[in-house]
Amino acid sequence: MKKLFALLLALTMALSLAACGGQKEEPPADSGTESPQSAEPTKLTLILRGGTYGDVIKAALPAFEKENNVTCEVLDLSFDDLHSKIALDAVNKEGAYDLCMVDGSWMAEFTANNVLANLSELGYSFDDDIIPATTDICMVDDSIYLAPYFGNVTVMLYNKQLVADAGYEPADIDTFADLMDIAKKTNAAGKKGFLIRGGSGDNIVSDFIPHLLAYGGWVVDENNQPTVNTPEFKAAFENYLELYKLGGTMDKDDIVAAIDSGEAALGQGWPGWYVPSADSAANYTVIPTKLDDSDTAKNTSMYGVWTIGICNNSQNKEMTMKLLEYLMDPETQLASIDLGGVPCRTSCLLNEDVLAKYPHLETVHGALQTGVYRPVIEEWAEFTNILGTEMDAVIQGTKTMDEGLSAAQTALEKLMK
Amino acid sequence: MKSTALRSNRAPRLGERAFPRLMLAPTLVVMAVLTAYPLIFTFFYSFTNYNYLKHANRPFDFVLFQNYIDLLQDGYFRQAVFNTIKFTILAVVLEVVLGLLVAVFINSLKRGQKFMRTLILLPYLLPAVTVALSWRMMLSPNYGVVNQWLEALGLPVYNWFMDSKTAFGTILLIDVWQNIPFVFLLLYASLQSVSQDQYEAARIDGAGVVQQFFYVTLPNIKNGLALCTLLRIIDTFRLFEKVNVLTGGGPAGSTSTITQYLYLYGIKNLNFGFGSAGAIVMTLLVLVLSSFYIKRAIK
Repeated sequence: MKKLFALLLALTMALSLAACGGQKEEPPADSGTESPQSAEPTKLTLILRGGTYGDVIKAALPAFEKENNVTCEVLDLSFDDLHSKIALDAVNKEGAYDLCMVDGSWMAEFTANNVLANLSELGYSFDDDIIPATTDICMVDDSIYLAPYFGNVTVMLYNKQLVADAGYEPADIDTFADLMDIAKKTNAAGKKGFLIRGGSGDNIVSDFIPHLLAYGGWVVDENNQPTVNTPEFKAAFENYLELYKLGGTMDKDDIVAAIDSGEAALGQGWPGWYVPSADSAANYTVIPTKLDDSDTAKNTSMYGVWTIGICNNSQNKEMTMKLLEYLMDPETQLASIDLGGVPCRTSCLLNEDVLAKYPHLETVHGALQTGVYRPVIEEWAEFTNILGTEMDAVIQGTKTMDEGLSAAQTALEKLMK
Repeated sequence: MKSTALRSNRAPRLGERAFPRLMLAPTLVVMAVLTAYPLIFTFFYSFTNYNYLKHANRPFDFVLFQNYIDLLQDGYFRQAVFNTIKFTILAVVLEVVLGLLVAVFINSLKRGQKFMRTLILLPYLLPAVTVALSWRMMLSPNYGVVNQWLEALGLPVYNWFMDSKTAFGTILLIDVWQNIPFVFLLLYASLQSVSQDQYEAARIDGAGVVQQFFYVTLPNIKNGLALCTLLRIIDTFRLFEKVNVLTGGGPAGSTSTITQYLYLYGIKNLNFGFGSAGAIVMTLLVLVLSSFYIKRAIK
């Protein structure tokens, strides 16, 4: 009996192992070549940033699916999860994802490690309607790897009433001295003057960069070596801290809620956070470009453009290319505006009907034309971790500015060696 | 009887020797695949500069102890270790004490035990991320119900998760709130098995409620209490979701834990070599903290 039982057990284990190691099914040939009339629909998997950024793409999909006999599966992910999942899948020979949404700051890492397909080789090119500056991050030499889909760029979110109470028209806020003045007056009236963004290192650094640009500083030099312990950086940080003391630090949702409810006057934001209408309590304006009236104007808006690309190990490159072209089409992009989309197209952002409904898009268009990208370096995620953590320590008062910036400079030099 | 004695003295046949090993094989295979392999893998990679993406098609380098040196020299890692130990001690003490009190209270109820038991278990049934998001809404400085109550009562309000003075305590409170039911459940089960005769005898001997608790209840549930403490130490040491969702380790690293640190500097950037070194250090720390129980179990 024991022998029989042992034999049966051994047989079961052997069968289980054989089943586990079963031969994989042959992947189908690129189904992008299938005709729309083909019985089996092609399945595309889209990996997108959750929230408005991905929602506008999802809303556009049914028409494409119907026309091309395609079914699309969409994964909505947070910023960090999106980065990890794309990167983790990139090492596989046959990828799980076809179309991916990519933050501009990941470009260097992804192209260096062969994560993205060369769109130029697949026949894609930019048309003249796309705001040229937004395409800079999408190319390596002359090859296109990404298409700018969602025009995220830092803008100044303000409460209309509190700015008016401080004696300003939105168009008059054109220097950092004006920001300070509004923040002081609002603070004196018992409200929060200026809100800075807390949370992750990336949030803190991104929120601070427009201030740094206004003071003529930058986080790296021309050789991508860190420059975070410079007089310009310190001056910008002091101004930032002064504004912080007139308000506070909050996360994204609370910044929007505080400004919309009239609890705070000013804070930097992204167009994807809030869709103002003509009668909303808050609106956007461009981030000032000068320190004061005697200063010369600089580019102070920072890009956070969400781009779309094709995973290099996608099994459906042709059909995914078709989808990418459809999503970048001016008509599709125009339709996305009603759902909170911000195309990187002049014809969409300056469309008369659109501006009548969403006047803030003229501001966004201006910012998109003159924005600055974060440094294109593979180590950017680690860079912001280090710098953001040290800046946070200074903001919270656990380190002095000299201690924090000196520690950040040393750690970043080690990283960039 | 004779035949049994004869059977036990002869050498076992090949099939008889193989049978127990064969019976153990599935367990050993599962253990090897799920426990030993990942542990060896992690230990091996902790001596390399392996990055999952960068080294997919390129060889990685052996850096010997460099990852460990970098870890121990990093002030933020030391802060994360300190925070984790502080958090673990405070959370486990609070959870065990409060869980025990709740268990004793519910066990003493004459009616409504089932209802109370179900009610108290609810927080533990929720996923940690759901709990974190719910508390974030309740503690929002703008629309949070907690600040609105405090304001209505004329008390000071706080930006709970963004202020380095309150962030640690707030996460501790949320963790304790969610995990008291786990302690309650284990200790309640232990309390149910304590014989009522012992209480009766103690009462006859003139023992009061407090004496009964210390001389009857505690000695009877001490094994359950020790197991519960060990499980809570291990679980609390791995605290991640709440910190990641609510503060990301900030402000100024005041809520950073070892797992959050490893995620931020290792896993998030796919630096698995560095992350593995941190994981090994963390495993050693958990072993040290739980050694008292393991020693007891071996004895």
